[in-house]
Amino acid sequence: MKMLMKNNYIILLLPFFFMLLNSKTAAQEDSVKSEEVVKLKYYNENNSMQYLVTENYLKIGKKLEPLNNKPFQLYLDSVAAENFIAKLTTDKSGKAKSFLPTTLKTIWDASPVHKFIAVVPGKEDETVAELEITKAKIQIDTASADGVRSITVQVTKYENGEWLPANEVEMKVGIQRLGSILSAGDEPTYTTDSSGTVTVEVTRDSLPGDAKGNIILAAKVEDNDMLGNLLVEKNVGWGVPTTYDTNFFEQRTLWSTRFKTPLWLLFMAYSIVFTVWGTLIYLIFQLIKIKKLGKSASV
Amino acid sequence: MENLTSLSSQQITRDLVPQKFGRRGMIWTGILIIICLIGIYAYYRQLKNGLVVTNMRDYVSWGIYISNFVFFVAISLVGSLITAIFRLSNIHWSTPLTRIAEIIAVSAITFASIIIIVDMGRPERLLNILLHGRLQSPIIWDVIVIGTYFFISVLLLYIPMLPDLKIMNEQKNITPGWIKRGYKFWGGFWKGTKEQFKISNRAIIILSIMIIPVAFSIHTVTSWLFATTYRPGWDSTNFGAYFVSGAFLVGAGGVVVAMYVFRRYYHLEKYITEKHFDRMGKALVLLAFLYLYFNINEYLVPAFKMKKPEEAHLTQLFAGEFAPLFWFAIVVGMVIPVIVLLTKKGRKPLPMFVVGIMVVVGAWFKRYLIVTPTLLHPFLPMQDVPQSYKHYFPSWEEWAIAMGSLAGALLIITFFVRIFPIIPIHETIEEQKEVTDEKVTSQPQLKEKENFIPVTTGGLLAKRQ
Repeated sequence: MKMLMKNNYIILLLPFFFMLLNSKTAAQEDSVKSEEVVKLKYYNENNSMQYLVTENYLKIGKKLEPLNNKPFQLYLDSVAAENFIAKLTTDKSGKAKSFLPTTLKTIWDASPVHKFIAVVPGKEDETVAELEITKAKIQIDTASADGVRSITVQVTKYENGEWLPANEVEMKVGIQRLGSILSAGDEPTYTTDSSGTVTVEVTRDSLPGDAKGNIILAAKVEDNDMLGNLLVEKNVGWGVPTTYDTNFFEQRTLWSTRFKTPLWLLFMAYSIVFTVWGTLIYLIFQLIKIKKLGKSASV
Repeated sequence: MENLTSLSSQQITRDLVPQKFGRRGMIWTGILIIICLIGIYAYYRQLKNGLVVTNMRDYVSWGIYISNFVFFVAISLVGSLITAIFRLSNIHWSTPLTRIAEIIAVSAITFASIIIIVDMGRPERLLNILLHGRLQSPIIWDVIVIGTYFFISVLLLYIPMLPDLKIMNEQKNITPGWIKRGYKFWGGFWKGTKEQFKISNRAIIILSIMIIPVAFSIHTVTSWLFATTYRPGWDSTNFGAYFVSGAFLVGAGGVVVAMYVFRRYYHLEKYITEKHFDRMGKALVLLAFLYLYFNINEYLVPAFKMKKPEEAHLTQLFAGEFAPLFWFAIVVGMVIPVIVLLTKKGRKPLPMFVVGIMVVVGAWFKRYLIVTPTLLHPFLPMQDVPQSYKHYFPSWEEWAIAMGSLAGALLIITFFVRIFPIIPIHETIEEQKEVTDEKVTSQPQLKEKENFIPVTTGGLLAKRQ
């Protein structure tokens, strides 16, 4: 009977072992089909800095897992030694950045349309990704009339030896804030007209700027099929000068440094610590007293 | 303890003096040492390669180590329950259990401190807490209160043991020699004089009173490490009481398991009787109900409102990936113990032992469930993160270190029992004398004594009725 009871209780504990297995299997990744994705992105910032970003992911179902430490070689227009742009390796986020070398200036200037080609080192005859872009410029200007401020952005593309307006180009126009662009008008994005121009009336007032009231206006074209990624910025004094209240950090608060602990907290903490440890030290002395009493008793 | 009246002081001493490990004791100790060594090797790997050997990542940065830490802190609270609360409440039957509870408290709080250092990854950074710690941070409060609780627990273990050390010193057949020298070092000065008893009794009363608020603080502050963080599952004003009630439950469960093992292995049936199990069983039922009440509070109210950020967390617990563990912790760790212990048969030693294990195992998983699922459900959605960040299951190194720490705590208790009497000898003899005196005088009240008789630590504040 005792044994049976024992067994019953052992059976009762078995779920605990099953649960361990359950958690383990749940933690394992789903066996969904995976596919490697390589993407090239072209960036042109303020019409002066041009670079390419290579992205490498493993697509598992709908999720993208960045692939780290994957080598690629980039070429301009064709896979040939004279068209070599760079050899690069992806980082933890699965990305690698490379600038266009000055040695390719002649090839770059020769044509309005260029193709970027990515290959894996050692497999140069096998293109893993390519991107075709048309050379473009983006310019930003501001105007102020009757107290109304506006931003004008023009996008032009290089065709047949001249710079022509690029219409139907969608972009964000606004004020550069931390991490993104705050739209200057009511729309989140704007599209260029037949003259390649966008004019946005600035409806944002009293935006905090730097100490002199400067804010950065920005126009950004993102992942355009023909032009890639374009960004232009302009510094204007339309913001409100911001002075930082450094006194805030000097106050005694719960989020201040250790030297600015609130006095009430210091008082409470030290009161408790001194009371408790004072008593404990007293008890240690009592132990010493017991020891002395014992020694004198044995004498 | 009613059987004790027929026992002489010599017999009690013979029964309660620590015994050498038998074959089973050696095997048990060997297994614990092996588990500890595996844990040490895993920790060596962690020190060498860094925390990358664990499966903790950006989201789950508190994994099995912190669960283990909370578990150790919880189980350590039993020292204050049995040695202080029961004692101050004039509950005498707990006297044979006081030392079991205290050594569990000391070993658990020791490993709670160690596992925190393990979790830090780089142990030398512990110094930074002292050099750069901010008193505004609950982590600093935790460090202070753990240190204090450890110190009080050690004193509360040591001071009542002084008369026993004298008894041990008087034993002739103590081997090996270093144990004998240890008794002399730690208790050679105890002569059992009236003045010594007076001082030690007063010290024990002070410690018993002091340990209660400190014990409540230790687990409340540990709960604040979570509750002061704005996260689903932790954002609660109830957390302190919730943690303390759970701690008393797991501590009592741990004592029950230890009671059964010591009783059986050292044949202490005369000292740890079925009545002790019966009463501990009733205490466990009360504590399990209390903890269930706080669990219902913790989960029902957020589940009723189902605020969006809480939804993912609660769904995972109730019906998702963590549901088996969650319902295991609730049903096996609380509900079944209550059902079993409500019956008289359920409060017999063997069922109590099994229930004790269920409570302790359930409580360990409960701590895991308090820590991990919340970290996997932050308020801001997880975007563009590796797949491994979205799940957490401890690596073998984490398991080895966690199990090594549990084995280490058991090893401290095992060695303690080998060296020191696990049931207070002096107190037992004194209680036996009191019971005999009561029988002789046949008076309901305690006879006033002309000469000083040391008051047993089981009844420091009130006379036996």
